[in-house]
Amino acid sequence: MSCDKCACSENKNGQNYSNIFLPKEAKILRAIQATQSERHFTLQLANKEKMKFEPGQILEVSLFGYGEIPIGLASSPTRENTFDIVIRTVGRVSAAINKLNEGDSMFIRGPMGHGFDLPLLRNQNILVIAGGIGLCPTRSLIQYIMDRRSEFKKFSLFYGAKDPSQQMFHEDLKNWRGSSDVSFYETVDKGDGSWKGNVGVITTLFNKTQIEPDTRVIICGPPIMFKFVIKELDKIGVSRKNIYVDLERRMKCGVGKCGHCQINNKYVCVDGPVFSYADIENLEEAL
Amino acid sequence: MNLYFIKSQDFNDFVKSLVGSKKVIGPKAKKHKFVFDRIELPEDLRLDYDTTILPPKKEFFPTTQKLVEFKGNHYNGCINPEEKILFGVHFYDVKAIDMTDHLFREKNEDWNYLANREATTIVASNVQTVSNRAFYGSVGTEVKPKGHDAYLTKLKDGYLYEAITNKGEALVKFGKFDKGTDSHRKEAEEINNAVLKKCPESLKYGTKEIADKVRKSFDKKEVWENAAHDCFSCGSCNVVCPTCYCFDVQDDWNLDQTSGLRSRYWDACLTEDFSKISLGAGATENFREHSADRFRHRIMRKATYLNEKLGGPACVGCGRCSSACTADIADPTKVINKIMELR
Repeated sequence: MSCDKCACSENKNGQNYSNIFLPKEAKILRAIQATQSERHFTLQLANKEKMKFEPGQILEVSLFGYGEIPIGLASSPTRENTFDIVIRTVGRVSAAINKLNEGDSMFIRGPMGHGFDLPLLRNQNILVIAGGIGLCPTRSLIQYIMDRRSEFKKFSLFYGAKDPSQQMFHEDLKNWRGSSDVSFYETVDKGDGSWKGNVGVITTLFNKTQIEPDTRVIICGPPIMFKFVIKELDKIGVSRKNIYVDLERRMKCGVGKCGHCQINNKYVCVDGPVFSYADIENLEEAL
Repeated sequence: MNLYFIKSQDFNDFVKSLVGSKKVIGPKAKKHKFVFDRIELPEDLRLDYDTTILPPKKEFFPTTQKLVEFKGNHYNGCINPEEKILFGVHFYDVKAIDMTDHLFREKNEDWNYLANREATTIVASNVQTVSNRAFYGSVGTEVKPKGHDAYLTKLKDGYLYEAITNKGEALVKFGKFDKGTDSHRKEAEEINNAVLKKCPESLKYGTKEIADKVRKSFDKKEVWENAAHDCFSCGSCNVVCPTCYCFDVQDDWNLDQTSGLRSRYWDACLTEDFSKISLGAGATENFREHSADRFRHRIMRKATYLNEKLGGPACVGCGRCSSACTADIADPTKVINKIMELR
């Protein structure tokens, strides 16, 4: 007997208990080495069901014997019955998962948390600002907007990477560069011999285009980036309630219990990872 | 609620009969301190304890708890509650258990905790000896103990047993109980009220005032740096706290290297790694990098962050953290009273 909340199949003392820690199996349909340290997986639930999720939500991804890590969904629910994640090799769990290949399984719990508020973004001008690996969770929204382009007004995308070798999603980049559906601007902190694009921090991209003050802005990147980007947005006059940030924290449970991701009275895994900047700008320890 | 009375000379037989047929966990002496442990002989039950080293939450939320067992890619949950009686819980620990009940139930129900909790009958008992760091007489006084199944108070000639739930009522058959009277109830009330005035330490302000002022002191860097100056970041204050429930989740292989367990372990927000993440290539980000940040987080969590959810502070005044702290800086009354006196 299993319950509908999770993959549990417990029947002890005549009672069924749902167990929020029981994961579901997911099969790897495609595994690409995105950069030297990041691996891009396309997954499907082992039971082939379509996973319901919203752009910006997260998963707890695991491999038995190694452990679990929180990872943002990197694809839009508008795409098939598969989903993408990108994992950077940083520790024991990520190193083990990044050795997996097509046909192998990993285990997931979720989707969890509060993603992008689509009703508040529809029919608006949108600017996504993604720094480094911050492109992964925002890709779930970028794909969504591209797939339902008519539901949104002007769409701009800023992407910054440390250097050209750190750029990810090459197919996407190629599409975005040539697409009239998105005004795509990219930069690298440090170029190489073949790089002909912009060199400089992500805020240098603000000079390349006109951002309307009523634009809804989504920011995801390293903690240091937020401060400088928000300074630029202040200059343009973007209201803080129209700025959304996607935060990263240590998370062990993903269900608002274990305490690791707590910022004041908020839990990033349940109340976030996407927050309105107005809601957290006065929350110490948030940014 | 039904009142029962048992004479002092019959009490031992009640406990004997109870431990003979049920698994009973109660306060037991361990060297010069007390612990909650299995009671097998009535004389092991020490209802005169002041407080225990660890709070009784370990009966539902063990220090290490199996969550998932796996063999290769096959896996099962490990929820397997055992019926037991938690006997002799002081009212402040009852309050704390009620808080963790709420926290493990809200939003996403965690049956790894809740199943253990539901399988337990809690018999609370009055404080006979006040511990030397207690301040339960002055903290969160608006929050009343609830969630226990019975309440036992030692009177002059015996014990008053208040059966609150059917689970509490079911234990009456194990002893030679008479009906309790109004005068027994009155005597018990006086005893339970009197103990609140005997605490050696106290908070000098009410819950709301404390919550507001402590919250507003977040940016008073100097206050937190001074308070945490001697902190070893050992997490002892967290480990002994009855309302702390943070945990880590880790996988461990069995010796066969093909099977193993995913378990949760008590964790502590005072430890350096608690909020630290890895960014790759050896780089890290610690969202509460300094001991002062972590010390502040603990006080905030006890005095303000959870108040809305819990109806009062997430501190019950047991004083365990004050006793456990190596540097003796964890005492919430000292930290909070000092903040309240700031201009």
